[in-house]
This record gives sequence, C-alpha cells and structure tokens, in this order.
Amino acid sequence: MIDLYLLIPEIVLVVMALLLILTTRRIQCAWTAVTCVIFAAVASVILGWTFSSYGPEIGFGGTIAGDGYARFFQVIFAANLALVALLSTRYFDTEGVRPGEYHALLLLASTGMMLSAAALDLLTLYLGLELMTLCSYILVGITRDRSASNEAAIKYFLLGSLASVLMLYGISLSYGVTGTTSFSAIASAVSERSLDQQPLLLVGMVLVGVGLAFKVAAVPFHAWAPDAYQGASTPVAAFLAAGSKVAGIAALGRVCQVAFRPDQHVWIDIMVVLAALSIIVGSILALSQSNMKRLLAYSSIAHIGYVLLGLIAGTPGGVVATMSYAFFYAFMTLGAFGVVVGLGPRGEDLVGYRGLATRAPGVASLMFLFLLSLTGIPLTSGFIAKFGVIQSAVQTGHITLAVLAVVFSVVSAFFYLRVVVLMYMNEPKETTAVCFPVGVSAALAIAAFVTIVGGIFPDSFVMWAVPP
Amino acid sequence: MIEYVGVVIFFAMAATLAGAFVFLSSVLGPSNPTKVKLEPFECGEVPFGLPVGRLSIKFYLTAILFILFDVELVFLFPWAVVYRGLGVLGLAEMFIFLGVLMVGFFYAWDNGALEWQ
Repeated sequence: MIDLYLLIPEIVLVVMALLLILTTRRIQCAWTAVTCVIFAAVASVILGWTFSSYGPEIGFGGTIAGDGYARFFQVIFAANLALVALLSTRYFDTEGVRPGEYHALLLLASTGMMLSAAALDLLTLYLGLELMTLCSYILVGITRDRSASNEAAIKYFLLGSLASVLMLYGISLSYGVTGTTSFSAIASAVSERSLDQQPLLLVGMVLVGVGLAFKVAAVPFHAWAPDAYQGASTPVAAFLAAGSKVAGIAALGRVCQVAFRPDQHVWIDIMVVLAALSIIVGSILALSQSNMKRLLAYSSIAHIGYVLLGLIAGTPGGVVATMSYAFFYAFMTLGAFGVVVGLGPRGEDLVGYRGLATRAPGVASLMFLFLLSLTGIPLTSGFIAKFGVIQSAVQTGHITLAVLAVVFSVVSAFFYLRVVVLMYMNEPKETTAVCFPVGVSAALAIAAFVTIVGGIFPDSFVMWAVPP
Repeated sequence: MIEYVGVVIFFAMAATLAGAFVFLSSVLGPSNPTKVKLEPFECGEVPFGLPVGRLSIKFYLTAILFILFDVELVFLFPWAVVYRGLGVLGLAEMFIFLGVLMVGFFYAWDNGALEWQ
C-alpha cells in the first residue's frame, strides 16, 4: 500500500481524466475542462512533492522509482499539460471538439509521460510510452472534419506503431538473453559480459534505442514529426513537440544511464550518429520551410540533437545538462507554438508574420524572445541549455561533435531570425487587430517568465535536476 | 537449441501429412471438373469482387467494444486463479480496475455507441 505514494501524481491525473470522461456530455464550456486540468496538474505536482518522503525510494516490485529524476520530469509534464490546456481554450469551439474528451486525453497522455519517466523496468516504460502515444494518435486526429488532420493521424499512427513494435521486439530479446526486464538486473548482466560478447542483447538494446529515437524524432527516425505537427491542431502540436519529446528523453536517459550503463561506448556511438544527423538535417531542412509549424517541427528535431549531447557525455553532469535542456526546451517550444495558436490560421504560414511588429508589438516581442531562446542567444534560457550540453560534450572529449553543434547553432539562427526579419522589417499585409484569448496570454506569460528567469538565474531551475 | 528439435520435427511431420493428403487426393481421386467446382471456395462468399458498397461504421464500433470487454476477461482470468493468495488488496485492486472499465462502458453507453439505429 505504501508504494501508492509513488504514484500519487499519476493517480491524481487519472482520477481527473475519468471524471472528465464521465461528464463529457455535460461539459459544454471549454473553460470548465481547462480549469479541471490545471487544477489536476497543480495538485499532482504539489501532492507528489509533499508525499515524496512518505513512500519508498523504489516500489511496485522494483518497477517504479520515486527519485528526483522522476519528480523533475513530472513537473515538466504537469507544466506542459497545464500550458497546453490554457492554449486550447476557445481553440476547439469552432472545430466541434468536445472539451471533456480532449482534455481527458491530454490528462491520460501526461500520465503516460510521467510513468515513462518513473519506470525502472522495460515493460513499465513501454506501458507509459504506449499510453502516451495512443492518446497522442487520437489527439492528432481529433479534428475529424479536417482531412489534413486525419492524414497526419494515420501517418503518425503507422510510423508510431512500427516504432512500438520494434521496441517491444528489443525488449523481448533483452528478456530472452538476461531473463529479466528490470533495468538494474540488465545492468548487472551487461557488466558480467560486455555487449560485444552478447550479440542478441546488443540487437535488443539497439531496437529499444530505435523505438525511443522514434518517440523523440531523432534523424533518421524523424519523418513523422513535420507531417504530424502540420496536420494536428496547433495546441496538440505544441503538446507533442514539448511533452512527448521530453518523455522520450526521460526514458532514453534512464535506459542509457541505468540499464546499459556498464557498456557505455556502444550506445554512445549510436547516440553520436543520431545527434549529429539530427542537428545537421533538422537545421538544414528548417531553412526551406514556409509553414511555421513545419519550421518549428524541424527546429525541434535539431534541438533533440543538442539534447542528446548531454547523454553522449554520459557523466552525471551531462545528464543534468540534458535534463535542464529538456526543461527549458519545453517552455520555449510551448511559447513559440503559443504565439502560433494565438495568431490563429494566419499564424501557420510565415507570410502571416509580415509586419507583426506594427500590428501587435507585444506579440512580436514575445515571439522574438522565444525565437532568440530557441537560437541560443545569451540571457535567454536557450543559451544556458545549449551551453550546458556543449560544455559536457567538450569535457568528455567529443570535440568534433561540439564544434558541429556550435556551427549549426549559427545555421539555425538564420531560419529563426528570418521570422524576426519578417515581423520587424516588413510592412504588414493586413491591418486587422490581433486579439489573444486570455488563456493563451496566460500561457505565454508563464513560458516567457521561465525563458527569461532561466536565462538570468538558471540555477533556480537547474538545481532541481537530479541524475538517475 | 537442442530442445527445439522436437518442434522442427513436429512441423516437418505436419507439412508431410498435409502435403500427402493434397497429393494423394489429386492422384487417386476422380477428376470431374465443372466451372463452379474450379472456382475458389470461400464459405459461400463471392470470392472476387471490387470493393463496392460500404460497411457500416457500427460494425467497427461493436468490434472495439467487444475488445474492451474481451481484454477485461483475459485480465480477470489469471486474477481469479491466484485470487486466494492476493487477499483483500487483490480484491480492491480488481474492483478499481473494473471501476475504470465501467467508466469506459458508461462513456460508450452515454454517447449512444450501444444503440443501433
């Protein structure tokens, strides 16, 4: 029974999701559902931190951890959930999506993310990731009347289930060799005999890695991301870009740092290839995009490459750098997508940003802030994040990779600042007023706060990051 | 790997036996073909046809609802086998599981998934 303390954040979210499902036909106003979701997100964080000392360190037969690593990611997922709920106010009124169903799916997907960050067992990890992705498939296709949304959902579903199958196959191979799915037991099996002597376990590890690389959309497993983000409603795209990627990172960190830790060089070689390809391909393809959501999708692919740098370092400091990168990345991505949400249909095309500074100077300056942070300019959280991961890569001798990361940071500045140039140095095409809903403004304010404070006082957030 | 030899032998015997039936009946049996006999037989359905006409979406809905309760039974069965060892906590957990499932059932009912207009 005492193990249940470990799962309090998840339980809070699930109970609220069930309540929303029960009352879905009676909830007409989006704000009712949004309030419920925000309440659940805040309650899950507060109760989770309050009761974290009551429960054991590891529970449920060694499958769920209540360590600082899990708690840190739970806060990211709860914040992601609350911000996406705020972004979704009023958005679906015109689409005929029932708020109860939509928000229940958001809650359940966040539950899956939290589970995957807390998992200490390959099957629990799979369960969490699967709960997250199954809800995400529906969320992408939830605007049933739009064919782009249906297409995106089908593509995402087919590629996502392929990734799940590969991962499950990898889990079964690992189980076949070691006789267990627990991370610590796999680690002791790896430390007894290196992976080079156990080819089946090596294949299993690679397949699990491929499945997780799909979830974080690292090149060459990125093909679904731009299509899914473009077809999905913008708040859903924000949810995927921030939440589901961070969940994949959390899982990847735990698998690399715990399960396969004794034989680091094998997965580090794989990660180096994934990171380098993600940074290069993501940055170069983003240059040619004319759709804002596709641009942000490719930018998120490039960011995954940077996030992996910390894991490649493999040191506790590197993992902390990856965790703080994930934290800051979630907020700045949510902020950038939030501006797209607020601008509505015209925000989806780059042309819609022409002369935004004269029409709505406040919105333009917020977008400017988020784009600066995504580029990695000092005094924004993006700089701290990039600095941390590149520093940890240099310290462990991955000089080439670090140089590549810095060079492509400059390339990425080109496509981010292109939007800034459009906003500030062009005449507006249309002169209609820009009116942001209250929820979107609130979400943008929170994201901007974290982005600025994280850039100036990074330790106020980074101090909570604990490696597994 | 030696313990799997039995499976391989089993597959080989099954393939030989099935092949022998097909071979013997084609050699020994009377051959008197007509047009209808030569058509592939598929449980009374017309074997070939273009996909004209639509299947009602309700069939899929029913199939999904079936899976919902089918999986529940799959989960209930092993629980019932070890029920005595689990004690009161196991009973409570199963009731929580059934409660969550009933929420889904209520949702389906509430939204008219069980009505066949």
